[in-house]
Amino acid sequence: MSALVGLDVSIRERLRGIVGAEHYSDAAEDLYCASYDATLEQARPEAVVYPASADEISRILRLANEAGFAVTPRGSGTGLSGASIPVAGGVVLILTRLNRLLEINADDLYAIAEPGVITQTLADAVAKQGLLYPPDPGSMKSSTLGGNVAMNAGGLRGLKYGVTADYVMGLEVVLPTGEIIRTGAYPVKSVSGYDMTRLMVGSEGTLGVFTKMVMKLVPRPEHCESMLAVFADMAAAAETVSAIIRAGVIPATLEFLDNVTINCVEDFKHVGLPRSAEAILLIETDGVREAAQREAEKIVAICHGHRAAEVRRAADAAERDRIWEARRAALSALSRVRPTTILEDATVPRSRIPEMVAGVRKIAATYNLQIGIFGHAGDGNLHPTIQTDQRDTEEMARVEKAVDEIFALALSLQGTITGEHGVGLVKAKYLKDEFGEEGVRAMRAIKRALDPNNVLNPGKMFR
Amino acid sequence: MAPKTLTAADLGPKETDQAYLCAKCGMCLQVCPTYQLTGREAMCPRGRVQLLRGLLESRLELTDNLRDMIYTCCGCNACYVNCPSGVDVEKLINEARAAMRAKGVELPAGQEAMRSRLADVSNPFGLDRAERAAWLPPELRKPRTAETCLFMGCSISFANNKTGKTILRILEKAGVDFMLLGEEEECCGDPLVRIGETQLAEAMIERNQARFRRYGVRRIVTPCAGCVKSFRRHYGGFESRHLVEWIADLIDEGQIKPRKPVGRKVIYFDGCDMGRQLGIYEPPRRILRAIPGIELIEYDKSREFGQCCGGPLISYDPEMASAVSAQRVAEAAEKGAETIAAACPTCFLNLRSGGQASGQRIDVQDVMALLYRSLKGD
Repeated sequence: MSALVGLDVSIRERLRGIVGAEHYSDAAEDLYCASYDATLEQARPEAVVYPASADEISRILRLANEAGFAVTPRGSGTGLSGASIPVAGGVVLILTRLNRLLEINADDLYAIAEPGVITQTLADAVAKQGLLYPPDPGSMKSSTLGGNVAMNAGGLRGLKYGVTADYVMGLEVVLPTGEIIRTGAYPVKSVSGYDMTRLMVGSEGTLGVFTKMVMKLVPRPEHCESMLAVFADMAAAAETVSAIIRAGVIPATLEFLDNVTINCVEDFKHVGLPRSAEAILLIETDGVREAAQREAEKIVAICHGHRAAEVRRAADAAERDRIWEARRAALSALSRVRPTTILEDATVPRSRIPEMVAGVRKIAATYNLQIGIFGHAGDGNLHPTIQTDQRDTEEMARVEKAVDEIFALALSLQGTITGEHGVGLVKAKYLKDEFGEEGVRAMRAIKRALDPNNVLNPGKMFR
Repeated sequence: MAPKTLTAADLGPKETDQAYLCAKCGMCLQVCPTYQLTGREAMCPRGRVQLLRGLLESRLELTDNLRDMIYTCCGCNACYVNCPSGVDVEKLINEARAAMRAKGVELPAGQEAMRSRLADVSNPFGLDRAERAAWLPPELRKPRTAETCLFMGCSISFANNKTGKTILRILEKAGVDFMLLGEEEECCGDPLVRIGETQLAEAMIERNQARFRRYGVRRIVTPCAGCVKSFRRHYGGFESRHLVEWIADLIDEGQIKPRKPVGRKVIYFDGCDMGRQLGIYEPPRRILRAIPGIELIEYDKSREFGQCCGGPLISYDPEMASAVSAQRVAEAAEKGAETIAAACPTCFLNLRSGGQASGQRIDVQDVMALLYRSLKGD
């Protein structure tokens, strides 16, 4: 692969010509503002462009191949892995102008959106038609759908409804070399060719730039039930999670807060959670009213049968809101304790959660760090959240070691280094720990086949 | 030549910590009026906070462009209520502006023009001082000793004295005692604080305070949300209320009796100063609900999540101010509102101009004007 070059005057001129002068910038402030996401990583590009069509993106990528500069796609920049940070300089492709919701089809249950559509906007629009777009990443009020697809974002409903990948039926993609292709199909069933859609989803902007996305929708459940269960020990909470699944109930959400998180939430919001509790589970069932209610009854009984100190079931919307306030406040509460918050997403099979929580606690003690854990207990996707200060270099060195150990721990428990945030920049060095050299080599071969000059989002996923 | 940097010492430790508290999560993007309009990261709260951080770390120079980005913030603080980390962006931005001014950084042209108008004639409109009280009944033009001062504020005095006259008529019907500073009134200082012009603001605030003391004022009532905010933040020793709080109480006490039906579908617009800054959500709604015939509806985002009209930009970037308010007017129209009711005179003026710009057939009224319709002939 040839080395990438910087942008000379003539390239800048041609970029301006493609997107229009007002949608091109190399002002220091705009470059700085494209240099970060929600991680601590940072790198400035040499130019930012705001293209408005697949054709413009195609021309930019052809130019990148011809001249040899890097192109990094970016949505709202809310990522938690550094995938949109332009580590190789070059051009940042900001996709927020491609923000049309093109179609909602209630008969065939899909929506067609451009990548810059905000996830919440899609969710709200389909809700008006009695439909549900299930993936609900925590950033959905700001994140773009294109970013969600590129990172295969998860969310609270993962256990029952799956993740973004389960809702992508087809894509229009500009390949790294500039060709525009279509993947997938509109029918529910389609087995023609390689499953290019699945390959593109979660490719973190390294294999193509999405310009249209066909997203699957489902009917909106008519009813939901919310419960909160308090546990004096972690093992009891984990057994409860397993017992619920064994009983044949798949809750829509099954969330978990540990003791550190509970106390931070209490300090911040005074929700009335018992400070001595080791774990709290927040559980929701949904579907046909009678079914959701019967499942809720089963869950309440299981919680009682597994040494829950207290079980609350919301009688109305107001109570439901109170129950969920603790979960909604979790990240805010953890974020306010120290200036810097590092949110990880190491994930293990749900039966290994007690080992994972105990292991993270031990790591926190070893490195003298405060780490709160909350997350999606139902799918084993935990968020060990490190409270620190990035200006304290000595502490940050300990943080780095702790993070290394957290990932090693997750892998030792048959887990994965990332459940929903992606590899990007920050987890690239761990990828071979999960898949081995050969696994990573196979992935690199795909990347090389589609992006021979390595112009599209170089430096990500692989190290 | 202006210094090209801003250090942590310039900004102070508390505000520097605020800048570092930002986790860059981006939850503020979609609620920021200037980001909604431009889609530019440098025009959103996260972007502005990061630009400040870039300055503090000497990774950026204090260019005119960077300064302008800091100055486009409306100070609406919609970001604050959506921020998981609780960064008080409005305060941080105001302090950054003050720190820049203290280092001799020039104001952007629009703000400089406003500053000079305020310095010359004590109102942001640049109108002759004499006009402030010229529309008042002669007996109210000069102050007298009284416990309650009705502080009219610049927006009503210079740009909307129709509402001012309506307010006087309503208070006359209520039979309550108050005085006005009239010819002696000056800007409350808030517009100057907003642009970081601390010294000029402090002088103005001190002059107003001296007047309040001279005339034995203990309670200030004003129809302007920005003025209430300024009194509560920067003035000492006086009780301050927004007019709608007083009027809502007078209605409850039976001293004002709205009787004539006003058959309108009305949406109440929560201004940022009225709402997020002062927490005055109920009193204007109590007044509107007391008016027979009004069907009161709500924005999808209201109260602490209410969206800014862009009003703070009106004095230095009227075009952007009215582009922002046009969006709020369009949202009201979508809700089926016939009238937008505002209790903040800046929102009122800006929503009116946004309404005209957007071509929507929707009427913008001050809450007091709607109340007065219900009192007429009473």
